[in-house]
Amino acid sequence: MTSQFLQLFENDLLALLPEVFLITSAIILLMYGVIWSTSQAHGYPILITNVGWLSLFVLSVAGLLVLHNPITTMVVLYNSLVVDQFSTLLKVVVLLSAFCSICISFEYFADERINAFEYIVLLLLSTCSMLLMVSSYDLISMYLAIEFQSLCFYVIAASKRTSEFSTEAGLKYFVLGAFSSGILLFGCSLLYGFTGVTNFEDLAKIFTGYAELPMLTSSGILIALIFLAVGFLFKITAAPFHMWAPDVYEGAPTCVTAFFAITPKVAVLGMFLRLFFSSFYDLMGPWQKIIVLCSLASMIVGALGAISQTKIKRLLAYSSIGHVGYLLIGFACGSVEGVQALLLYLIIYVIMTVNMFSAVLSLRTQGEGLRVKYLSDLSGLSRSNPILAFTLTMTLFSMAGIPPLAGFCSKFYVFFAALGSSMYVLAVVGVLTSVLSCFYYIRLVKVMYFETPHVWVSYAPMDKEKAVLLGLTLFFTMFFFVYPSPLFLLTHEIALSICL
Amino acid sequence: MHEKVMIMTQSSLLPFVLLSPLVGSVVLLFVPSWRVRTIKSIALCTSVITFLASLFLWVFFNSSLSKFQFMYTFDWLPLSNIQCTLGIDGISLFFVLLTTFLTPICILTGWMSVTKYVREYTIAFLVMESLTIAVFCMLDLLLFYVFFESVLIPMFVIIGVWGSRERKIRAAYQFFIYTLFGSVLMLLAILLIYFQAGTTDLHILLATEFSERRQILLWLAFFASFAVKVPMVPVHIWLPEAHVEAPTAGSVVLAGIMLKLGTYGFLRFSIPMFPEATLYFTPLIYTMSVIGVMYASLTTVRQIDMKKIIAYSSVAHMAFVTLGLFSLNVQGIEGALLLMLSHGLVSGALFLCVGVLYDRHKTRLVKYYGGCVHTMPVFAVLFLFFTMGNISLPGTSSFIGEFLVLLGVFQSNTFITVLAATGMVLGGAYSLWLYNRVVFGTFKPSYLSTFSDVNRREFFVFLPFVVGVLWMGLYPEVFLDPMHASVSTIVQHGKFS
Repeated sequence: MTSQFLQLFENDLLALLPEVFLITSAIILLMYGVIWSTSQAHGYPILITNVGWLSLFVLSVAGLLVLHNPITTMVVLYNSLVVDQFSTLLKVVVLLSAFCSICISFEYFADERINAFEYIVLLLLSTCSMLLMVSSYDLISMYLAIEFQSLCFYVIAASKRTSEFSTEAGLKYFVLGAFSSGILLFGCSLLYGFTGVTNFEDLAKIFTGYAELPMLTSSGILIALIFLAVGFLFKITAAPFHMWAPDVYEGAPTCVTAFFAITPKVAVLGMFLRLFFSSFYDLMGPWQKIIVLCSLASMIVGALGAISQTKIKRLLAYSSIGHVGYLLIGFACGSVEGVQALLLYLIIYVIMTVNMFSAVLSLRTQGEGLRVKYLSDLSGLSRSNPILAFTLTMTLFSMAGIPPLAGFCSKFYVFFAALGSSMYVLAVVGVLTSVLSCFYYIRLVKVMYFETPHVWVSYAPMDKEKAVLLGLTLFFTMFFFVYPSPLFLLTHEIALSICL
Repeated sequence: MHEKVMIMTQSSLLPFVLLSPLVGSVVLLFVPSWRVRTIKSIALCTSVITFLASLFLWVFFNSSLSKFQFMYTFDWLPLSNIQCTLGIDGISLFFVLLTTFLTPICILTGWMSVTKYVREYTIAFLVMESLTIAVFCMLDLLLFYVFFESVLIPMFVIIGVWGSRERKIRAAYQFFIYTLFGSVLMLLAILLIYFQAGTTDLHILLATEFSERRQILLWLAFFASFAVKVPMVPVHIWLPEAHVEAPTAGSVVLAGIMLKLGTYGFLRFSIPMFPEATLYFTPLIYTMSVIGVMYASLTTVRQIDMKKIIAYSSVAHMAFVTLGLFSLNVQGIEGALLLMLSHGLVSGALFLCVGVLYDRHKTRLVKYYGGCVHTMPVFAVLFLFFTMGNISLPGTSSFIGEFLVLLGVFQSNTFITVLAATGMVLGGAYSLWLYNRVVFGTFKPSYLSTFSDVNRREFFVFLPFVVGVLWMGLYPEVFLDPMHASVSTIVQHGKFS
């Protein structure tokens, strides 16, 4: 009996080895942390840095497992999860971005005297949930993975209990997140009610050629689709549903904001890409309209909203809303180029954001350790920390999409895809908002380079991890243009695998 | 064997010219910033080596061919037919030379006057040199756009960091946003072209036929970008601001190279790729250019800032250039090209003259100056020479250019020629007015108390300009000869004549 059981699930376990490993190690780290941090014999040690380093090790092993998984394409666990090239790529990106965002927050923990190793464990668990999201192949597993991730996020957003902002951010995030999950769940249940299936593949079979049969088009299905799309757009902070993002970004501790900004977009976009492209491909008419509208709205809100911001984190929040708009252009195209553009944009966005946040996290004053909060605090940075100012400038120009930096390549390919599928309005609005958004990106450059500060601030030196990451990402941003073909080919292959 | 080596050197000459400033700037990154002397020497050596190497381009250039020479191809984006193809023909040859010629001068100009961020200053200029050379020899539309835009970043920094007054921030902003707004539409146009032709390779695009409606659309999108860079009159506002606030060397680059990007773009892309649209829009260009000539010349008369005067006179000259380009015959286009080169020399030198005065007295307002001839005789001679160049005295390079332009336009539209010729009169008016006020008259000891004539370094900075202007003015054949084949091809290709 036992051996038969093992045989039945042998391949399943193999295919899900990274997730299993991640969960197990998270539990082991939790136990380790609980036991040692409450140990009187060792003087109640503060374990966050220790657990953090161990988690980095765990993440890299998980990354290796993902890359060297013997099973590359398979549907596992009674059709509820899938492993394929697409999920493998996204898993690697998720793990890498989680790695980077833990890497850049060590000094923050030490500096803010955060004594909660659970934070790291929660990050690991949410990373694991994102791996599951990326490979979910069923409405139920999808919803469960989302909830798993969101719960972890609610907790870490409110993790700084002494700060009012953090608690408020956590509360706001919880209320709106739970609300959007509710909407998503209602969409799922409607879909199940009208079709009787929850599996992506079965849904795809039902909806094949669906649009050609107008008498069969049920309004219930359309409503379900809208609810699903709204839930999805909530999760990636697309524009009409973006209201929580600036507050949460600002209120949450900066390292948490970095994690929010970098990681979840990859997983959520990946999951919905699979759902919309494999299951609802023939219903593209309706969902494309929604995505197009949200993309337009996000680009405009991102460009206009950030202009009058004075705080760095809020500015970054609006900037990320704008970037979501561009990502959604790729989504809305519904073509291979569109998916490729989205993946390319996603990867470059992650790298630029890692750079941005490691710079922002490293800016704290010598002595009091006050963190930079307002844009005007950056004035004179070009004189006090010229290399950091240069790095930040390049990243900002890249985010604005000025050639020949990496950000331009991604934007260019998005517009390429948009024009390829005749989305002229999206392309024109995208181009114009990218010029508008230049205003605020350049404003930061102006503050750093041209303004003389009223009070000179000397910043504490940054630690090695951040310095290495900053260097690597800057190198990528500046020189991606010289030899873009590997990433292009890779994303092209993955896009083909999801679309065909 | 010998031939093989020749071919090898020829094919790698262009990448060498393109990359050597970049290599120099990377080397500079590793020199500590307090070793100012070393930094300057390295930068100067790099730029001089680049200039010498680019002279070999001229030497090896075969003027009887109209096709692109020194071709170099690098596979940039697979699957999409976008290749990085470099090459120069008779049109781009001299722009590359102009760029490499002006960069050592920019570095020499900042030799004493730039005291803060010396390393960054030199790096910015070297990077800019590489980028502009790339613009001039890129034979792929998309990559052309990339480099065309990327010049913004170093220029923004140059104006903003080394500019002279508080207003520089505004100027840098205006420069950046104006140019960016103009050029993003071109990106979309390039993508549209790509979707029709399946490639952005210039050779293939020149052979592609676009429908007339689409040509008009694409032409307008390109126009939006190039007209801002040229600058044509309604969108020229950024130029005086940027010029006035930029440091001296920044102005030299702006006037010498940046303004040529737009006109070069017209000649390389708009005219040969969209011949029907070009014919359709020629009246528009004529009107805008003539308004540009007259408006800018008249505006120049009432300026009080010396740099602004020269900036507006640049606007007027560039309007002449567009006029010549769109006359669509060999004389007109060659005249326009020659005028671009000559303007690069003359207005660059005039900005240097203003820089000399500014370095000494820290003001650019005309009313504080007077009687320079008593205290700075050598300067007065140089200034006179370049002022004469600016009003295109026969014997200077500008004369040949303007003459050919007027000759070209005359063949297609006499009325416009008459109007444009008023620009020559007005040009004389403002140039002589400026020269009179600054150099002659009583000198004003209550404002200016210390005097020194141009020193040896400044003199040697001016010398190449003098040589260039005279050479081009007295024996233009050397410059016209390599252009001839390429320009004729453009005219024949568009069936303009």
